[in-house]
Amino acid sequence: MFRLGLLSLSGFSFGMLAAAGVFTVLSAVGLVPRFAGKTHSAREILLYENMVIAGTVAGGLASVFERYLRLGGWILEKAPGLAGLMSVLVSVFLGAAGLFCGMFVGALALAIAEMLDSIPIFTRRVSFRHGLGLAVLSMALGKLAGSLFYFWNQLHRTAG
Amino acid sequence: MAGITVYLKCDRNVEVQQENVFLKDVATLQCADGEVLARCSALKIHHFTPQGEKRCVVSVLKLIRQMEEACPGISVQSLGEADVLIEQVKVARFKGPRQWLKVVLVCLVSFFGTAFTIMAYHNDVGIHEVFGEIYRIFMGSEPVGVNVLEISYSLGLAAGIIVFFNHIGGRRITKDPTPIEVSMRNYEEDVNKALIETAGREGREKDV
Repeated sequence: MFRLGLLSLSGFSFGMLAAAGVFTVLSAVGLVPRFAGKTHSAREILLYENMVIAGTVAGGLASVFERYLRLGGWILEKAPGLAGLMSVLVSVFLGAAGLFCGMFVGALALAIAEMLDSIPIFTRRVSFRHGLGLAVLSMALGKLAGSLFYFWNQLHRTAG
Repeated sequence: MAGITVYLKCDRNVEVQQENVFLKDVATLQCADGEVLARCSALKIHHFTPQGEKRCVVSVLKLIRQMEEACPGISVQSLGEADVLIEQVKVARFKGPRQWLKVVLVCLVSFFGTAFTIMAYHNDVGIHEVFGEIYRIFMGSEPVGVNVLEISYSLGLAAGIIVFFNHIGGRRITKDPTPIEVSMRNYEEDVNKALIETAGREGREKDV
């Protein structure tokens, strides 16, 4: 019993500190304010924060309890006739989720680059006055190409 | 009117809906003489043309010159910003379907994005190995099923993020602004500063 108490206490503090890490990165990069600024919806900030909270909690649950959340497999087991419908729905959901994740990560990557002043320093060094838009576009295309290359060649197999 | 002091406090950023911008729209004035105050408040400082730019930067020096021309002999004390950014916004920001669509998009990106980043983080640190190891150290046995460490970790994650963001749903835990509200203000401040400085550098500022 004592050990269980200790374990749950340490688990709780691990969670708190992981939350602190997530929170620090997000608030230092200031991604959500940018989204709100771009869409002129600063008054919805509380809603966005709720989404950030919900997303973090949902992602945390999904990856910690991953092996109990195999919902698709469970449904197929119960009702094998739904396989066709399921695959369509899941593809749509995954497509949308992937798109949103990609947008977030892309924004995060460039926001971090900007926070570290790499873009301003780079533009001063090469001292160009125009064409910053082109440079940003090239960066986006480079990210797209790199990401496709990575998944196409299954480079994730080489990691770890 | 000699010897009358007018105190002028300009805002940094003003949004107007009408085409003509008057001094009372962008600044607060204080003066002992009511007539001078009224005359200064009604000074027209900018006119937005329908085709022209929707944004304008005015130097406070220009405002002071206009005030001195309107009421010769007064002395003006400026206590606020040195430059004012005036923006013309179309209508009172009603919530059209486009606005809702944008809000939904930001919500979806925030939700899936943060879910993805926390999962990527867990994957990165190999949370199952770490938790398995900790469980073995504490309990001396292999973890089976949902264990207490995973549950308490998830509770801690939720508690931590709610405490840091300072609200549950729409209800704030303390009176302070939430961190994203704070960084929103900082971001706005930066954008205003950048716009004012760009206007100054490109010579588009209304100056004396």
